Amino acid sequence: MTTVTTDTELSKRFHWISRLLEGWSIYKKSFLGKIGLTLLAVFALMALCSSIPPLIDPMYQPMAGVDPEIFTATGPSTRHWLGTDFMGRDILSQLLTGARIAFMVGVSAAFMSVFLGTTIGMIAGYTGKFMDTFLMRLADMIMVMPALLVLLMLAALFGQLSIWFIVFFIALFRWPGVSRVIRAQTLSLKHRPFIEAARVAGASNLRIIFRHIMPNVLPLSFLYMTFQVTSAIIIEAALAFLGFGDPGTVSWGMMLQWVWKTGHMFKAPYWLLPPGICISLITLSFYMLGRAMDEVLDPRLRKEVETD
Amino acid sequence: MSRMVDPNLTPEDAALLIKEFGLDQPLWMQYLYYLKNFFTGHFGFSFHYGQPVVQIIGDRLPNTILLFTTSIILSALVGIFLGKIASWHKGEKTDTYLTLGALITHTAFLPWLALIMIWVFAYKLGWFPITGMISVEIWLDPKAGLWIKALDVLYHMTLPLTTLFLIHFGSYLLIMRSSMLDTLKEDYILTGRAKGLPEKVIRDHHAAPNAALPVVTSVGLSLAFSINGGALTETVFTWPGIGRELVFSVSHNDYPLAQASFLLIAIVVLLSNLVVDILYAYLDPRIRY
Repeated sequence: MTTVTTDTELSKRFHWISRLLEGWSIYKKSFLGKIGLTLLAVFALMALCSSIPPLIDPMYQPMAGVDPEIFTATGPSTRHWLGTDFMGRDILSQLLTGARIAFMVGVSAAFMSVFLGTTIGMIAGYTGKFMDTFLMRLADMIMVMPALLVLLMLAALFGQLSIWFIVFFIALFRWPGVSRVIRAQTLSLKHRPFIEAARVAGASNLRIIFRHIMPNVLPLSFLYMTFQVTSAIIIEAALAFLGFGDPGTVSWGMMLQWVWKTGHMFKAPYWLLPPGICISLITLSFYMLGRAMDEVLDPRLRKEVETD
Repeated sequence: MSRMVDPNLTPEDAALLIKEFGLDQPLWMQYLYYLKNFFTGHFGFSFHYGQPVVQIIGDRLPNTILLFTTSIILSALVGIFLGKIASWHKGEKTDTYLTLGALITHTAFLPWLALIMIWVFAYKLGWFPITGMISVEIWLDPKAGLWIKALDVLYHMTLPLTTLFLIHFGSYLLIMRSSMLDTLKEDYILTGRAKGLPEKVIRDHHAAPNAALPVVTSVGLSLAFSINGGALTETVFTWPGIGRELVFSVSHNDYPLAQASFLLIAIVVLLSNLVVDILYAYLDPRIRY
């Protein structure tokens, strides 16, 4: 008798693990998902390795380290596996640091915008009426603004922007898409029996939102987070490419700007190709991850597995 | 106040500038000044060009509209067409290649793609001009007719247009594909098959027009993305448009020009959203506002 109760308790406590495993079993079937995850693992490894080259020799510092014997852009060699840029800085170590910056920018901006979007979407969907109209019209307004150009204007006003300022503003511009989806989901949840039951039992509005609605919309939020990461990385890279990035960071967009502005784009393909390929591949892999997760969250597919 | 005035200006020039924009007034008065200038069509002079801002913007606007609308219409049409094909061959090789190709071009980093295009097609192969919009010798030649000039612009436009097209058509293809797959499950498709209509008629006349509606919506929703892309493309290809002018004026602290370009882009965004909404109502008779 006791073993049975502990069993059910255990399965209750670890319910999320079984759900996760179930999700993983669907995810595994997606070819795109597997490619995406592999690529992301490679980029994560690059980000982790970013601090190794400077430890070997200070000339591998991505920003300040200059090879004492090289003063121009040179091609790949044993000393510099991917060559050096116009003042003798190592391209490989810049590329590794760029991976770290891309993850940092992408994940933190996505997290903030998804946090904002989920909260605003839930509030708009749950309270309805004036608040709903107000928040959704605000979302419409922000949604049509070209974030890159607004950031450009801000750069013109405030001079050089720091990387955290950029991250914060990307998040501020990217929440409307998330909040629309979350609002629609909240609207469909609002009149379900379990919400009514919670209300009858005397739960406050805040408790209903955070205890009963939030767990049901969070999977969707996570899905949108992957797409947000993509757009955050692209916006930061584009801003850096135009010369308005944080001058203290080495991002891939910054590397492309150096190639472009110093006029090496025809002379130095070994310098032009790697950062662009990296940006394109990291956005591609997050996009693939999102599409595969979309399949995991699709209720039609989930049902198939549950009936097994 | 201090942000607007370049520290390198002579005191007289600075005083003139302060007077023109009312910069010594409190902020709300400055805003009223701005509104007055806005409604009387007085946008000031560009610091860099020394010309009236209205004139510069008027010069650049047609170029941007030409490149932007052509690329959006082209990529939407091709996206719809290829999406239709992909969904029709669902699960086959055609579908896999089209979807994968769409994903890869759609997620490519635009400025980098533009640089690669220039590098390969303009520099290595020499098929197209590297930058710019017109060849000066053709436009200065009095004998050159309108057609030659148009062809010249088209020749210069090929690379920027291809870049924008490659970036954009992928998302339309993916949307069209999934919407088409949903549409094919509808009852009226089954009815069409039961009536014995040819598959081609069902695909092109029954399914595709209905499935294309979400693509129209997404053109409107992705407009912000397209405008970002347009500005980047114009900058890399030095296409004399509004987006490039905005980037340029921001880098050179040319505030009147930056302000006016930004305002114009805002107006363009609003107008094109309106156009998309009207188009949507026209295409889908079920929609009534």
